[in-house]
Amino acid sequence: MTAVHQAVAGAGPYDAVSEQTRAWRRLLGEAGYGGGDHAAQIDPRVRGGFAALDALTPEPGDLLVIRYSAWSPALTGLLDLPQRLLLVYHNITPAEYLWNHSAGLAVQCAVGRIQLPAFAGRAQVAVADSGYNAAELRAAGAAEARVVPILFEPGRLEVRGRPPAGEGPLVLVVGRLVPNKRHDRVLDAFAAYQSACAPGARLVLAGEPLTPGYARLIERFVRSSGARNVTVTGGLAQPELNAAYAAADVLLTLSEHEGFCIPLLEAFHFGLPVVAAPNAAMPGVAGDAALWTDGDPAVTAELLDLAVRDAALRAELGRRGRARLEHFRSERTGAEIRAAVADALASPPAGG
Amino acid sequence: MTRPEDALEHARAEAARKRAAGEYAAVGAAALDDSIVSARPSIELLSRWAVIEGDPQLLYSTRRAGAPITALKRMIVHLLRQYLVEVEARQTRFNIALLASVQELEARVARLEQAAGAAAEGRREEAADADATG
Repeated sequence: MTAVHQAVAGAGPYDAVSEQTRAWRRLLGEAGYGGGDHAAQIDPRVRGGFAALDALTPEPGDLLVIRYSAWSPALTGLLDLPQRLLLVYHNITPAEYLWNHSAGLAVQCAVGRIQLPAFAGRAQVAVADSGYNAAELRAAGAAEARVVPILFEPGRLEVRGRPPAGEGPLVLVVGRLVPNKRHDRVLDAFAAYQSACAPGARLVLAGEPLTPGYARLIERFVRSSGARNVTVTGGLAQPELNAAYAAADVLLTLSEHEGFCIPLLEAFHFGLPVVAAPNAAMPGVAGDAALWTDGDPAVTAELLDLAVRDAALRAELGRRGRARLEHFRSERTGAEIRAAVADALASPPAGG
Repeated sequence: MTRPEDALEHARAEAARKRAAGEYAAVGAAALDDSIVSARPSIELLSRWAVIEGDPQLLYSTRRAGAPITALKRMIVHLLRQYLVEVEARQTRFNIALLASVQELEARVARLEQAAGAAAEGRREEAADADATG
């Protein structure tokens, strides 16, 4: 049996890269490939699925899949192995956002960008999960960077946990509490929405905080924004997240840097209108199925109001969202993943 | 119904109308902006970063019920304080010396660029004089 091993810098309980690693593993298993998933750092809450990266001992004919979203010395070490390499580029958060909040992660991101050309140049096949990421990969020297989207599995969105408490229009924000997601701007816009449009509105910020210190900073922003009915949930288990989507009236994201933004697809799955800032990969993912704001908190507030109250607009956005999801059907993406793996395995080995 | 393509213009018009009526007077101003560092941090910021000071508040555990583990980590750091302060001081010594060298190099480059600019200007004037008299 041919083995395909996946390697990531860090494995966590809620992050998109770890989730994609698990999704690819299921697909690779169904396609008859063996192998395992390895991480340089494994969060203690991750229960199984990942082994330490230094325990990876591939056979000569195996394929290595490096999922690249941050640098780690152990990942760089894989470049010296003779095995064929498939690079999956998830993008790297610009370090500018992180220097003041997590110096260690900022270093991983800064070095990650510096090292990207070495990974792009070494890989037999390089893929990116969005056109935005593919452009960065080409700029880093990849001879060819094909777009293989996120493997979107709607089945995991079916189980429902407990929905958020309370009444009133529910604005949902999904994503790690990290500076590039600009939760400060979200709070400004939501406070404006409450003051001028919907005094009883609720805001749920669902996502794992960067650090406990950053979580405290966001709590301070909540208090100083003047917004009421704001719940900072931390990372939610899938059933609770699904229930939040099902109960929400609109998804809001004002992120300044996204390599893909899976919550857009999840919102489309739930028929939820999306108000977003047209930054990075998001316009390419959501297309004409989102309401794009110019960043003015008052304008964002008015877009939220439209998305919540205009039933015909909601229906049209729902229709467009379902059409966007067609581009990301798991059958289609699965075929592209299998093709990328087969091409990588069929390519000449490094130095061959 | 507002078409998705028209929603932004509609929202801008409505926001302008309400602003004129004083409804958006207290809109906040992106509190995180000040913490986002430019691609090339200033010398002032580098000077602050150069001084390494361990903060036990940075210690945490992501495990469920991780509070006892965090407390244990903080106690270990406290017990090792003398050693850690020495290591921090050595790193800070290197950082500050390196930063001073960078600042000196920046000043030298600026002086050389100024001198080169003045010399080039002088040559241009001499060439113009030569053209006028020749």
